[in-house]
Amino acid sequence: MIGWFPLFLGTLALVSAALAVTRPSVVHGLMWLVAALLSLAATFFALGAGFAGAVQILIYAGAILAVFVFVVMTFDASPPALARERLRLKQAARWPLLMVLALGLPLAFGLWGGAVATGLAPGGRVPVQAVGGLLFGPWAVAVEIASFLLIAALLGARHLVRRDPPTDSERPAP
Amino acid sequence: MTDTFLIGMLVLAAGLFAVGLFGVLARRAVLFQLLSLEVMLSGPSLAFVAAGARHGDPAGQGMFVLVLILAAAEVALGLALYLRMARTADVTDSDSIRDLRH
Amino acid sequence: MTLSPALILLLVPSFALAAFMVLGLYPYTLRRRQVHIIALLGGALPLLIMAPLTGLCAAGHCLGVVPIFTLTVGQSVVALALTLDPLGATIGLTVSAIGAAVLVYSITYMAATSLADLRRFFALMNLFLAAMLTMVLAGDSIVFFLGWELMGLCSYFLIAYNTTSAESITAGRKAFIMTRVADAYLLAALLLLFLHANSVRLDVLIPASATLDATMTIVIAALLLGGALGKSAQVPFHTWLPSAMAGPTPVSALLHSATMVAAGAFLLMRFAPLMQLAPAVQVAAAVLGVATAAYGAMSALFQQDVKRLLAYSSISQIGFMMLSLGVGAPEAAAAHFVMHAIFKSLLFLAAGDITHGCVEGTDLSSMRGAWTRKPVSYVAFVAGGASLAGLPMITAGWWSKEAILSAVQGFGAVGQVLWLGAVLTALLTGAYASRAIMIGLMPMRDSDMPHAGNVHRHEAPRTGTIWTNLPLMLLATGAIVAGVLVTPIMHFLGAEEPHASAFSVYVAAAAPLLGVGLALALVFVPRLSEGLRNVRAISRKARKMPRRGEGGPQSRFVRLALWLNWGMRFDGLYQVMFVRPFVKGVRWLNGYGSAPADPVGTWPMLALVWLQQKITAPLAPDWFDKLWMWGAAGVVRLWALVRRVQTGRVRDYGFAMAGGIAGLLLLVWGTP
Repeated sequence: MIGWFPLFLGTLALVSAALAVTRPSVVHGLMWLVAALLSLAATFFALGAGFAGAVQILIYAGAILAVFVFVVMTFDASPPALARERLRLKQAARWPLLMVLALGLPLAFGLWGGAVATGLAPGGRVPVQAVGGLLFGPWAVAVEIASFLLIAALLGARHLVRRDPPTDSERPAP
Repeated sequence: MTDTFLIGMLVLAAGLFAVGLFGVLARRAVLFQLLSLEVMLSGPSLAFVAAGARHGDPAGQGMFVLVLILAAAEVALGLALYLRMARTADVTDSDSIRDLRH
Repeated sequence: MTLSPALILLLVPSFALAAFMVLGLYPYTLRRRQVHIIALLGGALPLLIMAPLTGLCAAGHCLGVVPIFTLTVGQSVVALALTLDPLGATIGLTVSAIGAAVLVYSITYMAATSLADLRRFFALMNLFLAAMLTMVLAGDSIVFFLGWELMGLCSYFLIAYNTTSAESITAGRKAFIMTRVADAYLLAALLLLFLHANSVRLDVLIPASATLDATMTIVIAALLLGGALGKSAQVPFHTWLPSAMAGPTPVSALLHSATMVAAGAFLLMRFAPLMQLAPAVQVAAAVLGVATAAYGAMSALFQQDVKRLLAYSSISQIGFMMLSLGVGAPEAAAAHFVMHAIFKSLLFLAAGDITHGCVEGTDLSSMRGAWTRKPVSYVAFVAGGASLAGLPMITAGWWSKEAILSAVQGFGAVGQVLWLGAVLTALLTGAYASRAIMIGLMPMRDSDMPHAGNVHRHEAPRTGTIWTNLPLMLLATGAIVAGVLVTPIMHFLGAEEPHASAFSVYVAAAAPLLGVGLALALVFVPRLSEGLRNVRAISRKARKMPRRGEGGPQSRFVRLALWLNWGMRFDGLYQVMFVRPFVKGVRWLNGYGSAPADPVGTWPMLALVWLQQKITAPLAPDWFDKLWMWGAAGVVRLWALVRRVQTGRVRDYGFAMAGGIAGLLLLVWGTP
């Protein structure tokens, strides 16, 4: 059971992602993205990586996509826009598809060829405590640096969308 | 889990990456490209977690957490940029935003 | 220092050379007295050394060849030497004696010149004396040629002595150029001999000439003849001598009568053994000699200027010497050299004295009244003239001329024809000599009288002094008496006196007397004398040959006389043949006219430029250059192409990145 179930869920995620990418409407795309992310979370759970799955749902599908949703509200979803998107997708699909195949097929077939022996012990479930011990232990510095990155992103985002206040000459007379 | 199983998961991860790449290359709307970037990021995440699960190593999930943080930061900045660009440019067509050239 | 033969022989020209150096190079002023003393020493000391040496040689103790300097150049040995043999002794004594006489004469004759000019004059005269003595005593071809060239140089300087006169300078240049051309022949002959014998010593070269092959002998002999002809002013190289009379009288007396012009004959005397190996050249020399003698005599007969008359006379007399050499009697030529030196220098000195200070200069009319004005000089002139004419038995000239005529007659069939020509020339010689003498007897015209207005007092020449009279007297004595020396000279030089038939002797004796008669006819027969007056008028004023029928009733005679007066117009011929084309060529080379200056230098440049345009200019830019520039242009095109990659579109950049990764993956997939 543990063998094919994650595979099935992973395939589900893959299909959802493919659909997400090819919708003319953003909202539909987002919905399918949610589906893909949730499938991925399920895959993580099926693999025994409970922490990863939980974090995936909470942050990825929760926070990140929520931000996406806020932005989607500004998007133009009128029927002419949708028709235009459909047309553009049809026109632009050929070369990227070929390129992706050229990239993906060697990747897949290269992987298919051999099983790499790493010398690590075969395992199963990885308990959360182990992950925590890792993150708070040897990888603490990396986590701190990642937090720097988050603060930088926060400040940057705040700065980028700020509208400048009107100058003194533009302010209406009190 | 066996090695072939791991390989299958890795192939799926590669497929996710490829799909995401296709989305970036084929869609002209900036928002869709950002969306596709998320999909691309999920590919290596799956690969890390699967490998960690295969070997019972928490490092897989640790890497996944770091990737997640990266994705979050990137989304925040990316969408901020998108909103900023939306004020002056036509963000449904990234091909029209091409002033940074010769 | 022991008195070695080398030293003694070197002393002979050294004193004259030392006098030249002092007079020429001494940086401080020399007083007139001092100049005279130095010049006299330079002139007299060679004679004082030469006389005993000649006596020694006559007594049988000739010094022979005396090496003075030896240089080894690679494989060749250059041995310079002087020699004292009978020929050298005879000629050397003559030269030094005449040189001493002329220098003594010049002391007062040149009294009117400035001190600086006088110093120059005596310096050059001494240098000439040194050069001539060097040449006479030379034992090898290098010293010989050195003396020869120095003589030519001194001749140029002395002819052009009066540097303010364009005529003098032109005459000097003419003499130098013509003799230089002849000197080239001499040099060629000496070099050919050197190449053959590999030595410069004359006592090696001359015997070695016996081993030459026939053509080379003829070539060398002809070249030697050419050199002699030029220096001795024989036809065709003769036109410089009459013009050289523009120099002062002592110069004419020393150089151009007695010594230098006879140097050509001396050359042939020295190389007589070689000449005798080339009979063709000898015959040519004899024929040229008699032709020149006749030409000189004919031209001298109708000259209006006494110095030019004497110049043509020299040409004629040296023709006699050439004739003698041509028939193989160099000893008779040497004897005539000595006699001619005596009477010709005497004639020049006497004529100079007589005409000094006259209004007309050296024109024949200045000779008028010499019997009354200057009796001593006139008597000397008469003695010299008689010797020149060769009045039988009583003059020295007769004896040497008779020796020559006898030798010519003994030459065979050709000799008879030559003898006839020589006798006719002797007749003409008597004629012109008598003419000059007779004019001296004529009274002066009033217009010729020198009076206070004609001659400036402070320039009055001091003639009639002991300095001028003594040499004249001595030379006059010699001109009469020296005939007794002819036979001893010929014996000294190793030949027997040639025998002549009595008939030829009588004919030869009659010739000068007939010549005197001819001169009387010219002067006293009215038609002829009038014709001569016309000639005189035309030659002095119009200077153009009158056409047939013009010029009075004696027009044919006048035209003939004018033609001979102008030396058969050789000067004009040379002017047209050589001078004008040369001047034209020089002007053209210098770019007068439309041609570019220096076309000889410009044409190679123009040819090179044309070559460059035709050959190298089409190749530049060359293929390499073109390739390079094409590459450079290609880079620009490439850049224009590559620029288009920068579209500014995100999708395109992403596509490119994906393409790169795909490529890498394919690569990795290919490798195990």
